[in-house]
Amino acid sequence: MKQVLKRLVVISLVILTATALFAAGVKEEKKVGGSLNVYSIMPEKYATKIFEEFTKDTGIKVNFVRLSSGEALARLIAEKANPQVDALWGGPADTYEAGILEGVFESYVPSEAAKVPAQFKSPDGYWTGIGIIPLTFLTNAKFLKDHGLNPPTSWNDLLDPAYKNGLQMADVRTSGTATERIYSLVNIWGEDEAYRYQKKLHENIQLYTKGGAGGAMPIATGQAASGVFYIVDALDIQQQGYDLVISYPKEGVSYGVEGSGIVKGAKNLEAAKALMDWASTKRLGDVMVANLINYIPTRPDVVVTNPALDMSKVKLIDVNIAWKGEKRNYFVERWIEEVIQN
Amino acid sequence: MRIPALPKSTKRSLIKSDPVLYSAMVAVWLSFAVFIFLPLLSLLWTTFFVNGTFSFANIKKVWSAKYNVRALYGSLILATAVSVSGTLLGYIFALAVTRTTLPKPLKVLLGAVTILPLISPPFTSSISLTLALGPNGMLLKALGIKNFSIYGFIGIWISETLTYFPVAFMVISAILNTMAATLDDAALSLGASRWRMLRTVTIPLSLPGIGNSILLLFGASLADFATPLILGGHTFPVLPTEAYLLITGMFDLKGGAALSFLLLVPALVVFFLQRQLLGTKSFVSVTGKNGARTEFAQLPKTLVVAISAICTIMVVFIIYLYAIILWGSFVKVWSVNNTFTFEHYRYVFKHGRKAIGDTLLIAFLSTVIGSVLAVVIGYITQRKTFIGKRFMEFSSMLNYALPGTVVGIAYIIGFNRKPILLTGTLTILVAAYVFRYYATGIRSVVASLEQIDPALEEASLSLGAGTLRTFTHVTIPLIIPAVFAGMRYLFIHCMTAISATIFLVSVRWTLLTTRILESMTELQFSQASAFSIVLIVIVFAADAIMHRALGMITANFHRPQEASYEIIGA
Repeated sequence: MKQVLKRLVVISLVILTATALFAAGVKEEKKVGGSLNVYSIMPEKYATKIFEEFTKDTGIKVNFVRLSSGEALARLIAEKANPQVDALWGGPADTYEAGILEGVFESYVPSEAAKVPAQFKSPDGYWTGIGIIPLTFLTNAKFLKDHGLNPPTSWNDLLDPAYKNGLQMADVRTSGTATERIYSLVNIWGEDEAYRYQKKLHENIQLYTKGGAGGAMPIATGQAASGVFYIVDALDIQQQGYDLVISYPKEGVSYGVEGSGIVKGAKNLEAAKALMDWASTKRLGDVMVANLINYIPTRPDVVVTNPALDMSKVKLIDVNIAWKGEKRNYFVERWIEEVIQN
Repeated sequence: MRIPALPKSTKRSLIKSDPVLYSAMVAVWLSFAVFIFLPLLSLLWTTFFVNGTFSFANIKKVWSAKYNVRALYGSLILATAVSVSGTLLGYIFALAVTRTTLPKPLKVLLGAVTILPLISPPFTSSISLTLALGPNGMLLKALGIKNFSIYGFIGIWISETLTYFPVAFMVISAILNTMAATLDDAALSLGASRWRMLRTVTIPLSLPGIGNSILLLFGASLADFATPLILGGHTFPVLPTEAYLLITGMFDLKGGAALSFLLLVPALVVFFLQRQLLGTKSFVSVTGKNGARTEFAQLPKTLVVAISAICTIMVVFIIYLYAIILWGSFVKVWSVNNTFTFEHYRYVFKHGRKAIGDTLLIAFLSTVIGSVLAVVIGYITQRKTFIGKRFMEFSSMLNYALPGTVVGIAYIIGFNRKPILLTGTLTILVAAYVFRYYATGIRSVVASLEQIDPALEEASLSLGAGTLRTFTHVTIPLIIPAVFAGMRYLFIHCMTAISATIFLVSVRWTLLTTRILESMTELQFSQASAFSIVLIVIVFAADAIMHRALGMITANFHRPQEASYEIIGA
């Protein structure tokens, strides 16, 4: 009997300790001095390297979580009353534009923002571009050889029956890469023709992936043949050693602008400003080049060494960012209705 | 025979007549109010109130789209298919472990292998399934099968059946184990054939387990968004995935919430069906009047052969799928450079240490707190009568029935304002897990209690022991196997689930599963594999330690029958 009692005491002690720990969770709402909390839309592997350099330069420690652009924005909106982070890092500029309408960003013009061209930053200082990324075709080299094909150099090349059930690209509902695809097509052919094209393209689709880069690995391993990606994702998988071909359509491609901005109500405002200042200098571009992070820096004075990032022979289409933000939902809905609904 | 009701308490108020029950109920309702009702009401408010006035605008908008209606049918078809196939498979495995004379090491292997799909995040098995059965898949090539597309219903169905059948296995084998073997003897000595015994004794007595398992699997499949996300493609939409896409892709919280409301209806229907099915029969087989302990009778020969064959095929297939992951974690670059390397593990232990520590702490806390709650809730809803009992049962399942995505968002909205400010804390993660995954614990406690004659407790009460003493000295020892089954499932889920908590991880608290998903989206397949393997090893080890520790604590609670329970898992 005594033994049983003893055991019960032990069990209740364990439970009590646990409950105490549980309750402690409520109180650990403390700020960390000299540090910065960030939601990063930029992939973790890049953000880790960039923030390491930032910490080296400024002594400010960065805690971050990586989120997709939709999640990040949904969270910033949900947390408006009690912001959990001080800054948003990376991610397409149209996400920032949507956030401005929801009032989640703080206006701040970084120290060297003047050196960043006007089309790569918010006119009111809500976000500043840190890199640009054009769309590109990524194709499995072995697939091309087996089918005796040349790398695709026109959007229409992807309609070739050889690609039937062979294309993987991002789902418009979740991915900025995918909406960029629509922006490109609409600017090339106009809206109706762009959607007619996508319906035909749909015939060759094997899978729409959640993330913009999701199809790159299947293409690399030969599960799929080809797809449309941001250059940063395409180059990254190629650099891992897979036999892949990167090519551009002659009709042209639009490009995404990666932003950065301060969250309204930031608890570490000074540290957040320091990050924005640092990102506006040439230093960020140099860090990206040195670490094979393949964004094209927004500052024209950064020397890019990778020939794949030389855009002089690529037809780049400039698309107004406010227009992107305005049209996004409409394009997505039309895509669901007309392209995948059959 | 109906379960006799407990002696009616006198007319005095509950607080005086049964203070223990009273305080337990207050505690349960209080925790429900904060962690279930508050977030859900916040979400309802967001959905139905546009600029402060009540409106169906959000709902109408979502339901006018044909694609969403298709998603509803998709969800129902899938959940039905998965709950049936998963329960069947689970039952076959449970029979193999509890009712056949397969050598013990083999049974241990069976138990261990079936745990694999359960302890790895759902998207991990989806990925290895794609590599095996997807376009250009290794297994398809090896078998010479052409024109098979894994994307769509088939792929999700296979993957979810693989992922969830261990739940059925755990629930059903716990029930099969606590059955009295004397009933088998009785059936056989009365001249029944082994088939007849199976049909008239074993299966009917395990009905609570079967119903339980169907409910759990239906709910799990209904709420799973990760598998359809990877394997559904665009041809087979399901509701939770569409809701997730709306929320994460279009920032459309209201639309996502509106979509997921329809999910509640099927979940409710199944819940009430099960009550209807099981409520009218008695399943009492532990009466305290057992004779000498005897072995369970053997199954019919042909059935044993069939069961062995099915189990072998499944075990080989599962091992094959996990071998792909294991291999991937040790090669330099997946499918290009197959040099052996520890590089990915070094990365995991350098950059993933915080995630590992956080995940373990969160899972441990959730398991302890969740199990205590599950026992209390399961006990009072099965054994006691009080006003609002059905409502309590229903409420306890709410967070589980709702897709995790919605619970996650509800938690963000609900706990981001004063007076309860929890976003970014450990508490919110633990609470999300506890109130979502203790459902298994409650169900298995209830199912187990249904088998135990209340006369045992009445005896204790009439001998002068109070409610609390009877509970700790009579009830608990009898339901320990069921509690344990629920606890293991809770722990495993806390280590591997992602749907709700993906929205709740913060810069301070992060989880292994989100790191794996991250590595996947960043195309670091080898790294993701290494993370998965580390996670699987941790869960396996922790599970074994838990088993040992629990065995020691409860050593003298065990009745001799439970000895055979050990063989279920590692």
